[in-house]
Parts: sequence; structure tokens; C-alpha cells
Amino acid sequence: MPVLPKRKVGLVSCSGEELAEGTLARVATLYVLEQLRPDDTATICLPLFLAGDDKERAFARFFPTIAIDGCAKRCAARATEKHSAIPTASLVISDLLAARGLKAPSSRRQMDIVKEPAANVVAHEIARQVDEILGVPRQPVAGLRAEESEAARATCSCGSDIPVAHLNIAGKDVEVIALPLIFEQAHQAGETFDQVFDQIRIYNVIPGEAELAYRQAIQRAYEAYCANAPHLES
Amino acid sequence: MKRRVLIIPCSGIGKAYGSVGREAAYQVVEELRPDVTETVCLSLLTMGDADAHAQVRESPTITIDGCPTACAKVNVEAAGGKPAAEFRVFDVYRAHRELKVRSVSDLGENGLAMAHILAEEIAAKVDELKDEG
Repeated sequence: MPVLPKRKVGLVSCSGEELAEGTLARVATLYVLEQLRPDDTATICLPLFLAGDDKERAFARFFPTIAIDGCAKRCAARATEKHSAIPTASLVISDLLAARGLKAPSSRRQMDIVKEPAANVVAHEIARQVDEILGVPRQPVAGLRAEESEAARATCSCGSDIPVAHLNIAGKDVEVIALPLIFEQAHQAGETFDQVFDQIRIYNVIPGEAELAYRQAIQRAYEAYCANAPHLES
Repeated sequence: MKRRVLIIPCSGIGKAYGSVGREAAYQVVEELRPDVTETVCLSLLTMGDADAHAQVRESPTITIDGCPTACAKVNVEAAGGKPAAEFRVFDVYRAHRELKVRSVSDLGENGLAMAHILAEEIAAKVDELKDEG
């Protein structure tokens, strides 16, 4: 198995500048990243989906994601789906607040999550969804205050080093996540192509009807890689 | 110039300078030049919203970026806009190295001070654009 980044849940927040709910999305997401689930979550700047390259987009294909949107336009969910994959879960703050009988904050400026009930509710709902996706049972965390927890630093996953490669498969340009790393490590370990293909499957969705075409294209690429890779001493 | 100047920060969620840019944008549109500026959701622009695209094409636009990827500038240009000015938070830091931002979620006094310096620079640019208009 290649050594890839630890499987985490990717949080994609809309950060909508025009709305208080956008700031709420951002603040609640940061609270989850830094305080509630620092070891289990990662994030990426949403506009980077367009401005970034394959590596940035691979982030959301590699990690299960939660899209956190401030309003019904659902920019985060749509961007994730458009550029990477359908989010594993999706949360619209205006809907969540309405369902809980809460009002959005009146200001869109910096919020103190400890003093802002709506932000606290959103953060804990995100954390609950993270646990659900990872299948990790936890004690409820409601009531945790920022100063009671050792804060981690939220960092984005731009340049997250999930390597990708493009192959021509059945006439289409297909992005294959983790392929360079899998090739490198399989070659060093002397693994068979079947073992390589099994690992490719873990990180990529291979449509059933296209499996043969995937297998042939990846096998050709692996043979070419092995032919050009440094000779290994036995 | 009749149209308001659009102030568009990148709001980068993983970097403290993204938060500085966002705070500076709010200082301009809510405190320093509330009558002649406004902001638009960068995500909405990124997703091709027709109204947001029309806004950046028809209004003078100032972008604020927190990292070299320059998402605000890139996305405004991708939407057919041409920023009238591009600000980088790092440039403020280069001129004020004593200001260390605490974190992405808590700018601290120095981060707020950095945001204010940037906001004043942006407000001056807004005035210039209004005079030119």
C-alpha cells in the first residue's frame, strides 16, 4: 500500500463574503479544523478549485468531503462536484439555522465562536458529520469552549502532494490519483501488475464497463515506467 | 463614476493572510468607504454566476490576495474582469515585518493592524478610481 496522506475528511467552505452566513461557514469550519477534529480534517480554499491545478483538485477526489455553504446557491457543493467529485455530505447553513430556530449573526465581520451560538451549532454539526463519515464513535463535544482545548493551526491542502497522472484511456484523458506513487513503490517492492491495479482501485473509481480499458492503459504505463526506472539490485 | 468599486478578497481559509485580506475588505466596505464600495462572493464568481460576472465586468474591481496563487485576481480575470488594482497581503507584511499575524482564525492585534494598513491603502486607491471616473 503506498504511503499517501492520512485519510481525512476534506472541509470545503463557501466563505461567501457578501453574507454573514458565509463568515459563519468559514468560522465554524476553522473551529472544526483547529479545535474539534484537527487530526481528522483538512481544507482547501474553494476558489483554488478554479485557480489551482490537478493536485489541488485531486484533494477532493482523494478525501471524502463535506461542503459547507452559507446559502442556497451552494457554491461549495457545486464547485466540489464540478471540479472533483460529489461531496460525501453537504450542509447549507441557512437551512440548518432555520431548522434549529436560530438566527444568523447580524455582522459578517470576524466572529467569536464561543460567543456566537449559531457558529457553535454549525461547527458541532460539521464535527458530527466528520465522525459519521469516518465511522468514529465519539462522546458529544457540545459545550467545549475554545480556551479549553489546545488549538491546532488550520492549514490548507493546496500543494497537498497527492500525486496524479493523466492517461489516455479509451480515447479519453483520465486523471488517475496516486498513480506515480503507486508505480514507484510497487516497482521498488517488485509487486505484480495485479497488485498495482488493486491499489489503483482503492484511490480511483473505475467504471465496470471500462475496466479492461483501464487495466490495459495502466499496464502499458507501468511497463513503460519499469523500463525507464533505475535498475534495482536484487 | 457611478458604479461602486468592488473589493474582492480571496478569503483563503487555510492561510492567515487570507483572513487579513478578508478583514481589510470589510473595513473598506463597511467603515472606510461604505458609500462607494461593495463586495461580491468570490465563490459565486468562481461558479460562473451571471450577476457576479456582470458586476466584475462592469465595475472597477480591486482584488486582495493572501498567497501567490492569487485566487481573487485569477478568478476575476477568468470571469472577464480586469482588476483596476491588485493588492497582496504579503506586501504589507514586507513593509511592516513587526506585524506577525496570530492565526487564520484569530488575527490578534498585529493582524488587525495589518488589515487596517491594507484597508487604508485600498481606500486611497478607491478614491483615485472615483476621481478618475
